[in-house]
Amino acid sequence: MVAAPDPRGGLAAHAPTQAPGEQALAGDYARSLLSSLGIAVSEDLAPAAEHPAIAAARGGLTVLSGCADGPARLCPLPLASCADGALAALAALAGSRRAAFDDLRGSDLLGLRAAFNGLGRNGAIAPGGSCHLLPTADGAIALNLARDDDWDLLPAWLETAVAPDWHAVAAVVAGRTMHDCVERGRELGMAVAPRVPVPSRPPPWVRGIEVWHEAAPPLSAARRPRVVDLSSLWAGPLCSHLLQRAGAEVIKVESTHRPDGARSGPAAFFDWLNAGKRSVALDLRSDPGRRALRALVASADIVIEASRPRALRQLGIDAEALVRARPGLTWISISGYGRAEPQAQWVAFGDDAGVGAGLSELMQRLYGETLFVGDAIADPLTGVHAALAAWAGWCRGGGGLLALALCDVVRHCAGFDRPADAGALHARLQRWQARVERAGLQPQLPAPPRVAEAAAALGADTDAVLATPAHAAC
Amino acid sequence: MAMTALKPGARFKSAVSDAQVMVIKAPAGEHELSCAGVAMLAGADTAPDGVQADAADSGETLIGKRYVNEDESLELLCTKGGAGTLALDGTPLEIKQAKQLPSSD
Repeated sequence: MVAAPDPRGGLAAHAPTQAPGEQALAGDYARSLLSSLGIAVSEDLAPAAEHPAIAAARGGLTVLSGCADGPARLCPLPLASCADGALAALAALAGSRRAAFDDLRGSDLLGLRAAFNGLGRNGAIAPGGSCHLLPTADGAIALNLARDDDWDLLPAWLETAVAPDWHAVAAVVAGRTMHDCVERGRELGMAVAPRVPVPSRPPPWVRGIEVWHEAAPPLSAARRPRVVDLSSLWAGPLCSHLLQRAGAEVIKVESTHRPDGARSGPAAFFDWLNAGKRSVALDLRSDPGRRALRALVASADIVIEASRPRALRQLGIDAEALVRARPGLTWISISGYGRAEPQAQWVAFGDDAGVGAGLSELMQRLYGETLFVGDAIADPLTGVHAALAAWAGWCRGGGGLLALALCDVVRHCAGFDRPADAGALHARLQRWQARVERAGLQPQLPAPPRVAEAAAALGADTDAVLATPAHAAC
Repeated sequence: MAMTALKPGARFKSAVSDAQVMVIKAPAGEHELSCAGVAMLAGADTAPDGVQADAADSGETLIGKRYVNEDESLELLCTKGGAGTLALDGTPLEIKQAKQLPSSD
């Protein structure tokens, strides 16, 4: 990495007929991410310059936003370019492994699950089907009933008997306030978010909770870092998938009682995400299982988890204490809303987090339609950002505890190069729509990548991994 | 709290510790919830003078955990952790195992 001035950084480099810088947004975003990590940037890391609206149309974001029987709706925020930029930044750090990212585009990650699983836009119902936007008496909420057990919470949430179907839920919610629905839902551990505007000041995309300020000597590039991935579904497994491309050894750890739910989803998507990772299954209700989990965590260079902090503490794992004790460790904590209290208790999935970040409120204002933007948008965005944070932490000799929140990552992307006011936003929307039209591009899903290898069966490598003494902890 | 009907969504707090719960599901009829052997308090009720936790109860009620009786006709969510074992009509409750993960979100 060379700290060279960026020849394309100045506005003067762009033709005056074009809005300043838009073509180079992905590269600008990559540089801004690296600079926030304290990494000097070289000029050659930029992804191929592609207009954000073209990236959104080609990568699936646009075609997944809108009513099922209406036109696809372009969201005039550079979300697809942010995904491209984050992946380009990661590829730049991967050095000699950079070519492992050549067949992947960050913006395609946004449409990838939908492409694999045959999902499409459905207005106020997210493409995955489990998250709905519901009007309340004074606003709207996103409610995600992704787990079967979530339906059991409805009588306690609404304090009334309610039939277990969406119409009945919507009818009761319509008479409640947004605040009450969100407050009580969060207390009950439901994934519920208010439809609020994009905040005027974007939050940081990653927060260093416990950071080793005197950086340890950078670790030898010759050694592959070991990633112990305790996460499930999409964001965390995408993070470890990308780290695997960068050269890491990945061990996917699951509970025998509660394996990754995505194993029972479409196989091709699960295989694409998880092929090549070793699978360890542990009985986390037993003492030997918990001991084995702690030993695996102790052997890791990078830990990825997407649990509420108290859940891991109840298993005897204290992330803060572990990173304080071992400067070489990089710990990636993925949560809905961060590790501070009370947000650490709140649950989020990818669709509701996008609503909480402001995407649906923006679309309501621009189009007058009640819409989700993309498919579980916060998941792929967070997964690629998390991989960048993890790899940067490893490269500097240990990153400490790095916390990424689904909602904050989307807010951060939404706030990048954000127009100053509503008028400028409308102008950008028109400019971007014209740009897509000029390109003659129909919004589409990306082609699902070829899946050459199946993911390991649950626990296929448990014995082998537990029998191998880990390399010495650094 | 004497015997009372338990409605989904109702909140109760321990009279002798920080523990608080919300009713998720409840059997019909009137029942008594207790924590550390002492009847729990509803709403704005305050603990009667001089109540003491059962000294033999070393249990702990954990935030975020769900508690059920044997036939799972009662289910409580702990919304604030605290000392003491939860009980329904004198019978201790057990922790319900975690929710299955969804296949997608």
